[in-house]
Amino acid sequence: MAGLKLVHLYKRYENSGKKKSIQNNYAVNDLNLECAQGEFLALLGPSGCGKTTTLRMTAGLEDITKGDIYIGDTRVNDLAPKDRHIGLAFEDYAMYPPMTVYENIAFNLRAKKVDKNEIDRRVREIAPLMQVEDILDTMPVKLSGGQKQRVNIARAIIRRPELLLMDEPLSHLDGKARQAMRVEIKRLINEIKCTTVYVTHDQLEAMSLADRIAIINFGVLQQVGTPAEVYDNPVNEFVASFIGEPPMNIMETKIIKKDGNFFFTFEGSDLNIHVPERYYSVIEDGFKCKMGVRPMDLLIGDENSKGTPERIATFENLGDERRIGIRVGNTLMMLITENERRYKSGDIIRLEVRGEKTHLFDLETGNRIREK
Amino acid sequence: MSRITLENIHKTFGKVKALDGVSIDVKDKEFFVLFGPAGAGKTTILNCIAGIAMPEEGVVKFDGEIINLVETAKRNVAMVFENYALYPQMTVYDNMASPLRSDLYRQNEDVIKERVYAAAKMMKMENLLERLPSQLSNGQKQRVAMGRALVRTPNVFLMDEPLAHLDAKLRNAMRTELKEMQANFGTTSIYVTHDFMEAMSLGDRIAIVNQGKIVQIGTPDDIYYLACNEFVAQLMGDPEINILSGLLRKNGDNYSFLSNGSEFVLPADAALMNKLAAYDGKSVDIGIRPQHVMYSFSKDAGYRDYQVYSYESIGNKSVIEAYPAGHSGRGDTHTHVRMIAPNGLTIKIDQLIYIDFKLDHTMFFDGSSKEFIGCYNEAGIRALSAGKEEA
Amino acid sequence: MNKGSKRLLTITQNGLLFIYAIFALFPLIWMVLLSIKSDTQMYTTTFNFTPTLSNYTEVLLKTDYFKYLLDSLIVAGGAVIISVIAGVPAAYALARYDFKKKEDIAFQILSFKFAPEILVVLPLFMIYQTLGLYDSYFGLIWVYQLISMPLLIWVVRGYFEDISVEIEHAAQVDGYSWYQIFFKMLLPLIKPGLVSAALLAFIFAWNTFTFPLLLAGSKIQPITVAITKFLGTDTAHYGQLAVAATVSALPAIIFALCIQKHLVRGLSFGAVKG
Repeated sequence: MAGLKLVHLYKRYENSGKKKSIQNNYAVNDLNLECAQGEFLALLGPSGCGKTTTLRMTAGLEDITKGDIYIGDTRVNDLAPKDRHIGLAFEDYAMYPPMTVYENIAFNLRAKKVDKNEIDRRVREIAPLMQVEDILDTMPVKLSGGQKQRVNIARAIIRRPELLLMDEPLSHLDGKARQAMRVEIKRLINEIKCTTVYVTHDQLEAMSLADRIAIINFGVLQQVGTPAEVYDNPVNEFVASFIGEPPMNIMETKIIKKDGNFFFTFEGSDLNIHVPERYYSVIEDGFKCKMGVRPMDLLIGDENSKGTPERIATFENLGDERRIGIRVGNTLMMLITENERRYKSGDIIRLEVRGEKTHLFDLETGNRIREK
Repeated sequence: MSRITLENIHKTFGKVKALDGVSIDVKDKEFFVLFGPAGAGKTTILNCIAGIAMPEEGVVKFDGEIINLVETAKRNVAMVFENYALYPQMTVYDNMASPLRSDLYRQNEDVIKERVYAAAKMMKMENLLERLPSQLSNGQKQRVAMGRALVRTPNVFLMDEPLAHLDAKLRNAMRTELKEMQANFGTTSIYVTHDFMEAMSLGDRIAIVNQGKIVQIGTPDDIYYLACNEFVAQLMGDPEINILSGLLRKNGDNYSFLSNGSEFVLPADAALMNKLAAYDGKSVDIGIRPQHVMYSFSKDAGYRDYQVYSYESIGNKSVIEAYPAGHSGRGDTHTHVRMIAPNGLTIKIDQLIYIDFKLDHTMFFDGSSKEFIGCYNEAGIRALSAGKEEA
Repeated sequence: MNKGSKRLLTITQNGLLFIYAIFALFPLIWMVLLSIKSDTQMYTTTFNFTPTLSNYTEVLLKTDYFKYLLDSLIVAGGAVIISVIAGVPAAYALARYDFKKKEDIAFQILSFKFAPEILVVLPLFMIYQTLGLYDSYFGLIWVYQLISMPLLIWVVRGYFEDISVEIEHAAQVDGYSWYQIFFKMLLPLIKPGLVSAALLAFIFAWNTFTFPLLLAGSKIQPITVAITKFLGTDTAHYGQLAVAATVSALPAIIFALCIQKHLVRGLSFGAVKG
């Protein structure tokens, strides 16, 4: 087992003579990333952000434009994929259709001319881990999506790779099968303790599985951190709105000073939110920026509350929780509550905001404005 | 604007029985949701109402009038299809205008323009009108499909999983938008979905469909709190409700519930205890929602020992799944217990966790038939559910 | 892969394509060259000749050449029109409706193309004689259906299958009758396939030789049959033959160029669908 280190990694696709493609457009742009031995790292971003390209470069399936990749202490830039000691589990389960599940799992070892008894021992060892004991003699066509993915992962880990690379392995599964498989992957990696890089566009998957998450957008690394860090402490507007469901409420605001205190005010709304004092050193009267607050940090006040009275635009009873939408200018600000009361749209509530949980983002760059 | 009634509808495709005696009665201007797993027959019900499918038995009525033999075009229904079914060769504008250009519903071009723009404004897609469907994202296609239905004043809006192909975030956002628009519809609507959040949020009433039959009809609160059997209880809610099987035993004045080697003394509730009397000494299942399971990382009085099976984020909160301490985590998943926790806890797999149940929030089901017996505070819940219906 | 080797690859690719193009075009070029040689130069392989249009005047002005051309046009065009009128609804039915032996019928239609023409033409000759269809436009158009109909039905059926049935349902809900749906919604969508299939059918019908040779006689002579006249009993007038062939190839080429856009899209579309 080994760690992974990406140093100043770049990738640019040569344009194939077509006028329209843009020059100097990097699919991966100066990526520096380290994944410690035994760590589970998720590469998270919207489609086309360069996360899969990064993974493919690591696997050796894609040329590196510039930069270095280290697996353990070895620089692997010039090594062929088969010499990198990696296991791959990709989005589309490319299984060999004429072979049984057993043969599919054993295929790589057979190719390496591993002793037959040893192969059998390893397959039998790994089958219960992935819960494929019962289907070893089945043909791939007869398998369900979840089973295929299990075989796929079994195939990847039987080589005892130094590094396991997974690219959206769950994207073909739906609903409950996906959730169940997610748990299984988590438990499996926990058991075999393999360094893993996992590519996904689903923030829930990343939040649930990873020790650390690297968020990428337009080929540029935005933030690396534990799930709690990226959720509570996003570095910019992109990360804040990408992580969490429903996403963070982010609205343009103008800060005004009243009686020595600062308040967020919003165009087209009488909502006033107290600015936390820790920001006082970086703001001034009339300061314009964006304010972000998570739906869980909005509260419904009781009769004595000092919160702003606000009209409910939408009320959704979801059983487990209730979601309330309030129009602030053009945006619909979402609030999540477990309060059992059934409101209806048009009702007035006293809206309280956990001011200390608000984030400020720069209007232009989207970067988080931090207290000094 | 009409009342839609289906009486004892049967429909088979070859040897497959798609609908087996379906009866529903949708009130005028009601937003009615058909909810159930894939392949339950929900879309077939819609198709019978639209006239796309012909039931072999039973009648479809619009405002009391039997319309079984009226062809689709003359039923004046508007439908949103799961795969949007936009006309690929026409621009968005022409797509939306198409119902108003047919012989039956023809309007002059000025009226069409006015209506299309009004619908486009409502769906926030004024800037897309000149595009072709192939140039649109899934979310935009969905808006167009919706807009095409909105330009008319039909007897009924039929919507077949309109949000199913959107990714989770967009789906939630669109659902909320739909909820906001709902007030302006003013038309009877029938909405098919397999997403319980859509069903709960949008439906005035929900009909649970399974294997071609209607299992339960009721308000969202009815379905959620008074599910008629375990199947329905498990459908509503994410994470799924915890079901524990065990034995009911009378213990002095109280009942206790024995499951998995531990005994739970049930809190008193006269109405419920009366119902449970018939089950003394018999097997019952209790259902308890994840938000009513309490956990602790230190051994508190009354808490039971469990081990963490998984810890997963579901958005703004997380779910812990745990199994009874000492058991193996694998297999035997029906002994697992799911509970709600905040995001960002440091939890290791297989670590010890202590659990207790808020027993005064449980539902009781018959151990063999899996039918609903009763729950705590049933009268209060019925009042809550009825209160919403009036509003 | 570095830039040098990439460039080399491009050069090699283009070179190979160029060689293939010469190979493919050679018969055509040779035919055009023949048509402007005089009979005396015909057998010289050296490349010294004076272009002459005498073959053209001979063929186009002094024979019934345009009558033959018109016959071909009537027969091939008529065949395609009938195929479209009958084949498109058939393709729709095969694509949309479920009925007994559907696949068998579809295969039966395709199998018309399997039998070698020479094999079926003799019994047909007898039948045509009896029915009085011999040497008539109608008779030829009818027998040409064996060539054009299966092709058209199979291509267009694929296109119908690709249109989701919900689009028709949506149009029904919108208040359109079935005929309106067919002409307003479906026809525009199958147009690329229909056009390319019809064009191919036209070319096949235009080129067919066995059927008109044996089922038509003196009154009707499509160009493919008429060309053989230039093979006289004593000598073969290769120059005139080449002129006749060149001119008769023109309509198909002009057609193909006009609807090239549809053709490429239509054929590749079908290919992807497989």
